[in-house]
Amino acid sequence: MRRLLVLVSAALVVMAFSAVKISVLCSPDNADALKWLAGEFMKQNPDIQVEIVPLSWEVLYPKLLQDLRSQAGSFEAFTYDVMTTGAVSFGLEDLGAFMKKYPELLPPDYDLDDFIPEVLEESGMWQGKLIGLPFYNNTMLFYYRRDLFEDPKLKQAFKEKYGRELTLPTTWEEVKEIAEFFTKKFNKNSPTEYGIALMFPRTHTLFYMYLLFFGQYRNAPLGIMRHGTADLEYGEYFTADRKPAFNSEEGLKALEMMKKLMPYSPDPLGSDYGETIEYFNQGLVAMVPQWTGPYLIFKSTVGADKVGVIPMPGRSVSGQWALAINKFIPEEKKVAAFKFITFATTKWADKNKFLRFAVAPARMSTLKDPEVRAADPRVPALEVTYVTQTHRPRIPEEPRLEDITVETFSKILVGTLPLSMDTLNDLAKKWQEILGK
Amino acid sequence: MKNRLIPWLMVLPVLALFLSMTIYPFVFMIWSSFRQYDLSKGAETRFIGLSNYLQIFSDTTAIESFKFTAKLLAIAVPVELLLGIGVAFLIRGVRGEKIIRSSLLIPMMVPAAVSGVAWKMLYNYAFGPVNWFLSLFGIPRISWLGDMTYAQLGIILIDVWQWTPFVFLMIYAGLQSIPQDLIDAARVDGADWGRVFLHVEFPLLKPLILVALVLRIIDCLKTFDIVFMTTWGGPGAATHTYSFYIYKVGVSFGWNIGYASALSVLLLLVSMLLVNIVFRLVRMRQQLGFGGEGE
Repeated sequence: MRRLLVLVSAALVVMAFSAVKISVLCSPDNADALKWLAGEFMKQNPDIQVEIVPLSWEVLYPKLLQDLRSQAGSFEAFTYDVMTTGAVSFGLEDLGAFMKKYPELLPPDYDLDDFIPEVLEESGMWQGKLIGLPFYNNTMLFYYRRDLFEDPKLKQAFKEKYGRELTLPTTWEEVKEIAEFFTKKFNKNSPTEYGIALMFPRTHTLFYMYLLFFGQYRNAPLGIMRHGTADLEYGEYFTADRKPAFNSEEGLKALEMMKKLMPYSPDPLGSDYGETIEYFNQGLVAMVPQWTGPYLIFKSTVGADKVGVIPMPGRSVSGQWALAINKFIPEEKKVAAFKFITFATTKWADKNKFLRFAVAPARMSTLKDPEVRAADPRVPALEVTYVTQTHRPRIPEEPRLEDITVETFSKILVGTLPLSMDTLNDLAKKWQEILGK
Repeated sequence: MKNRLIPWLMVLPVLALFLSMTIYPFVFMIWSSFRQYDLSKGAETRFIGLSNYLQIFSDTTAIESFKFTAKLLAIAVPVELLLGIGVAFLIRGVRGEKIIRSSLLIPMMVPAAVSGVAWKMLYNYAFGPVNWFLSLFGIPRISWLGDMTYAQLGIILIDVWQWTPFVFLMIYAGLQSIPQDLIDAARVDGADWGRVFLHVEFPLLKPLILVALVLRIIDCLKTFDIVFMTTWGGPGAATHTYSFYIYKVGVSFGWNIGYASALSVLLLLVSMLLVNIVFRLVRMRQQLGFGGEGE
């Protein structure tokens, strides 16, 4: 018996030392799901140890760039925000070529065609190569207080004031009216102090929030006529021939609408992700545009019966994350990383990460799954949103464009820069300089 | 010969560490400040002369960052000095002095990143204790992080909260070291507390006050964490500190190492200049006893 114990212990020690260890850097939004998936993966693959390292966006992006540029290979796999695709693409393993080289490594039921086509294109493809696998297909949804929208007294009061039914908004103009109704300053009988929680701080949040408004006008027939259809590489900020599109009537309208909504929101310029979630949680506001993830928080705090979810009035914006492999690591580690990222993006993983951790699905099979549809009210809204949402640029210059844009927009919203075509033209000129055009 | 080598061998590890960790990055910074060196593009670097330096003067965000840093320096540092000195004198001999002393040091011990998070919550528009407290006096809610003026004031207040204890600690330590005989002698000669302060305590504390001033100037020019954690430089560029802007240009958004290096060199020169001005203005070198006799 003693000998057997010694042998088993020795075998375990040998196994532990012989296991391939891989580090996976990720954003905190993805971390819990990835940790759970790593645990499940290691049960099936005891020869591979997976360590999940969550890093905030502000730290993760520079860390990726720094490591890939220096070819240090200090981690094996990572999640990257698709808006940084152009900047990090040079250091990502060509997964298509890897699949051809090691077809036996792909899980048996792994079906690339099951990924939502637009999502696979935006998250995984760069200049014709498959460089990432869609993991976190985030998008923005419009959350509202269902109990207030269904309250007969409030419905009656709204009809008396505005001469129309209190219906779920489909445009930002409608949102403005409803937000005014739910703001105490403008309606002393409002059950909430403010109508809507908006996040327009100086962080990169403002860059994507703008697209919620701009997208509506940019993708309207007149906008398409003027600017053409946006592509997934340059997104809605650009025209079809890749020039800035925001220095236009549509661009002005978007900022005007943002300004019009500000009186109905608590501290829009000083609030970010966390603050707006809290405003909705605490019943301070009746509506909030937010990402897919916070639904679980709203559900547990406000109550599932009181939280409604609909597609964004106007247009949503994508916020996808993909899983990729560091090109500058030894082959044996690449194989281990490949095994893990394909495991983490299988149909089974996609469904479970959504049900357990609210990590937005990337596969059509998940959206169609009866169990998923019955369990989560976001699915119908997601289906609509995935095919209509807007996109940020993925080109390498994106972060720099984003920073100067956020500064200008922030100054416009504060009022230190005029909301005029001249201001937007100045910004467009700076964009052209950065793009070298 | 062998004996001569031994001391060199003993200091070699430290010398190597110093060269690699301090001298090399410094030289690299100077070198890259004259080059076009952009990591996001990944292209080869090339010599561009003074272009990076000239760019600073037409870069509106850099200028705004510089202005806010100057404001922080002009307001926060004097307030910290006055408060630190005042508190050090006030708590002397008070009942519970040790407890008060320890409590006053807490803000300084909190990492700046943590205090940034805490203050973000304190400044919260709807649920923050700061606005709640002000509401007791009938003051309406203030957007501490979303209004240009209040955001600047907010950052200055955090800096004062965090670094007044540092000044206090230095002055308090200095006060403890003043010989009681001198104070007693002055009092026997009929000096009131004001005269004792002016003619005995202040002259003896002066070198310490100057050291605190110089250290705070250098530190204030490097303000980064608080801005990173609270306003991210906004609204607009209202709370961009110069160091925070360097971080954004070089690391977070730009990866323009050449331009970030030029900005850093300028910061170094300004720091040196300011410290030198302080030294000259107050003739600190003589005060500390290491100035040349001929000066």
